[in-house]
Amino acid sequence: MSLRSSVATAAGKSSYWFLHTFLHGGSSLPGKITTAIDPQILKAFGQKYDVVIITGTNGKTLTTALSVRVLQQKYDYVLTNPTGSNMEQGIVTTFITAHKSKNGKTLAILEVDEANIVKVTEYIKPIAFIFTNLFRDQMDRYGEIYTTYDKILAGVKKAPNATIIANGDAQIFNSIDLPNPMIFFGFDHTENKDIKAPANTDGVLCPKCNHILHFGFLTYGNLGSYFCPHCGFKRPELTYKVTNLTQLTPTSSNFEIDHHQYEIQIGGLYNIYNALAAYALGRFLGVEPEQIKTAFASDKKVFGRQEMINVDGKEVTLILVKNPVGLNQVIDMILSDQQPFSFVALLNANYADGIDTSWIWDGNFEKLQQHDIPQFMTGGERYKDITFRLKVAGVADPIIEPDLTKVAEKIKALPTKKVYVLATYTAVLQLRKQLAEQGYIKEGMDA
Amino acid sequence: MATYTLHLAHLYGDLLNTYGDVGNILALQYYAKKMDTELTVDVISMEESFNPDDFDIAFFGGGQDYEQMIVSRDIPNKKNGIEQFISENKPMLAICGGYQLLGHYYIGADGEKIPGIGVLDHYTLSQNNNRFIGNITIKNEDTGETYHGFENHNGRTFLGTDEKALGTVISGHGNNGDDHTEGAIYKEVFCSYFHGPILTRNGELAKRMLLKALKNKYPDADLTKQTNLQIQPTF
Repeated sequence: MSLRSSVATAAGKSSYWFLHTFLHGGSSLPGKITTAIDPQILKAFGQKYDVVIITGTNGKTLTTALSVRVLQQKYDYVLTNPTGSNMEQGIVTTFITAHKSKNGKTLAILEVDEANIVKVTEYIKPIAFIFTNLFRDQMDRYGEIYTTYDKILAGVKKAPNATIIANGDAQIFNSIDLPNPMIFFGFDHTENKDIKAPANTDGVLCPKCNHILHFGFLTYGNLGSYFCPHCGFKRPELTYKVTNLTQLTPTSSNFEIDHHQYEIQIGGLYNIYNALAAYALGRFLGVEPEQIKTAFASDKKVFGRQEMINVDGKEVTLILVKNPVGLNQVIDMILSDQQPFSFVALLNANYADGIDTSWIWDGNFEKLQQHDIPQFMTGGERYKDITFRLKVAGVADPIIEPDLTKVAEKIKALPTKKVYVLATYTAVLQLRKQLAEQGYIKEGMDA
Repeated sequence: MATYTLHLAHLYGDLLNTYGDVGNILALQYYAKKMDTELTVDVISMEESFNPDDFDIAFFGGGQDYEQMIVSRDIPNKKNGIEQFISENKPMLAICGGYQLLGHYYIGADGEKIPGIGVLDHYTLSQNNNRFIGNITIKNEDTGETYHGFENHNGRTFLGTDEKALGTVISGHGNNGDDHTEGAIYKEVFCSYFHGPILTRNGELAKRMLLKALKNKYPDADLTKQTNLQIQPTF
């Protein structure tokens, strides 16, 4: 490391120490200070680390956390970035606050925001990328899926030797031929038929001939074994596959990958994709299937986006929702619950939530009618929008509580022991703050 | 069983479906039910013909640039059907990309001029690296109704002489950011850049379209109850 890089790193480190010690926070400022002193700081770090970059719309955080656990089976120390620190400055902070490695290169597994990849690969040439999926997401901020993929590819272009480990069930990752070595993972758990995606699915055009794709089967959204009946374009050969879904509940998933049995302590088909991605990276870097089993079995804390809170005997499951594909997966997951439950939906429209609430109309709330749900509740700053959404979905008489500071009290009065709370980002923060003040949870969420 | 039935054509519903616009159909079904009417839906997409006689009402939504360009190549095959549908005073809602494609042309993401079918007299230019994004409120000059929505568009649309604006901009950008118009009305075609979606936030407009479709199809029916339906505010 050059003198300039050393000085820059030291300056960033002391600011991190100051912020962390006295202000209980600070994940991007140290990165800013370091980068200001040495704009090429990432290059210096790149020489000391083997870097894996994980990106995509949904599942970045859990895939990263699971990948770290998997690779810890083989490596003593794996560097990673905390949730939310997935932009350039947060990544610099991650490096400057890392433990020093004694010998050789250290493995770093980093979650990187789609648009920030190019800022990293400008200086660091990763050994691998993982692409989870690309869905429409807070369109007032991110734009369309093809634009997002172009941003990712701008970063990939600077690292043509990195192996891309991509979701093979997503046609967009097979739409453009790249010089990089490619490995695909996906589902191969059921027989192939010939079906089309439901009308309200995005990304169903064949990238080669622009006709509408068909599917042997769909898992969720536009993911599945796609093929084009017009030109023959089809899903690539999968190297790593989910070969069986054994048992799915809201709190656990049992499944087989490459005929090895696995269990993770979280529900939702989408989370099996995250486990599959972590498995693929592990296998690519030489971790054995048995070791991966151990990694998946350890510790529940990794599953941060879904949280169980006991509120005076009520089992409250708090789930962050931010886009329609994720929302539909959450609805599918909670419908697999055999116990009676109440359903709470909290909608805010601040910048971090997405200021356009139209996406709730792409959520399949109509499906909730399949379950006999005794009580619904709506709230948040946009309670009118979410209330009307549920009314149109056939919910006759929800409890309406615009004031999020009163939601915790209302939850205590719900008729069921189990309560599912689906909330947007700032609504999650506000509700957690209330629950923390009332002593139901200990700490705030890392923001 | 509902007394009346209406059949809706969802034009390119499998391709132009990006911004929650399907909520417009859900809202139409919701209000139709209150008007003793069952609303059934068919998606009419690529390489399919659009027979206007099969439908009483139509919805044409917005999508991503790529899908919209693919649709622009197919839609000339449906031009005659759409033209006839409009001339018979059947109600149609066109949002964003659908709105642009009914006009003469729009400018695509790469700056190329992409022809629409020109059944309405507007055209659409683009902005450099800018979009109109945010909440918007307009007032319809004929009814005095206020409409709420969310706009997110790069296109700047300019109305033709025989089109009226859907409303005058109270806050937000509207068609082009200059002339304070938002959307377009021509015969029974309602065009807008509104997401939100427009009919879930503005039930009066959904009622207006449904009533027109019912009057077209059932000219002798007594629609007093339907006409008197009170729309509760949802925004």
